[in-house]
Amino acid sequence: MLILTIFLTSCSGVKTLEIFKTEVEREKLNLDKPTPLELENLRWIIITSNNAEEVFKKLEEQGIDPVLWGLTDKDFELLAKNFARIRNQLKITNDLLDQYKEYYETETDKKDK
Amino acid sequence: MFGSIRIFMIGIMATAVIGGGVYVMKLRSDNAILKANAIKMESAITEQQELITKQKEDFQEILAANKKMNQLVSVLKKDLEDLDKRFNKKNRDVGKLAIAKTKSIERITNGASALATRCIEIASGSPLTEKEKNATKKSEINSECPSIANPNYIPY
Repeated sequence: MLILTIFLTSCSGVKTLEIFKTEVEREKLNLDKPTPLELENLRWIIITSNNAEEVFKKLEEQGIDPVLWGLTDKDFELLAKNFARIRNQLKITNDLLDQYKEYYETETDKKDK
Repeated sequence: MFGSIRIFMIGIMATAVIGGGVYVMKLRSDNAILKANAIKMESAITEQQELITKQKEDFQEILAANKKMNQLVSVLKKDLEDLDKRFNKKNRDVGKLAIAKTKSIERITNGASALATRCIEIASGSPLTEKEKNATKKSEINSECPSIANPNYIPY
């Protein structure tokens, strides 16, 4: 009877609930953003069949080699558009980086920078 | 004979009393565990609710970031379209214009080139100047990339 009682009471035991927390955060990357560009301004010279001689003469007077790299008006347009596309891509990538930093870095991390 | 029966009955009674005692102790122990479980469950529910709230906040933040990026792509696309218009508006031929008004087109080209250079600096993360920030008129803006250079300019 005693054995039976002990056997029955042990069978239906209530188990202790265990909750595990094993979250381990990765170390933060926190790289500095690249330094913004500081560019030099270019000087464009327009040469036509009418002013070519005058342009080269002026270059010589200024002590500059009388040689020019040329673009047609169409190629100049393409160059301008290519630069605008590169600029847009740069802006998007830069802003994307900002968004990631804002999302993943805490306020404290941002203040530390 | 009666003696044996008596001992047997006492044995049964003792077993019943001990068994009852053990059972009550087991019940008390189970009760304590259940109480502890209930506390843990309540705590887990609170933590889950906090997690859900945080997830909702994160989701809102992701939506806002996506919206911001889409807006940026859209305004940059407009800048590119405006550049195309400057070259080709009303069948404009920049080449012919440059032949006819060489000096002024050269001046305009150099001005635009300097502005475009500044646009690249801004795109790479250069901070805006006060002048750029405060520009609200067409004459004050960087016409090559007003969307990123002049945040307070509203096209009119």
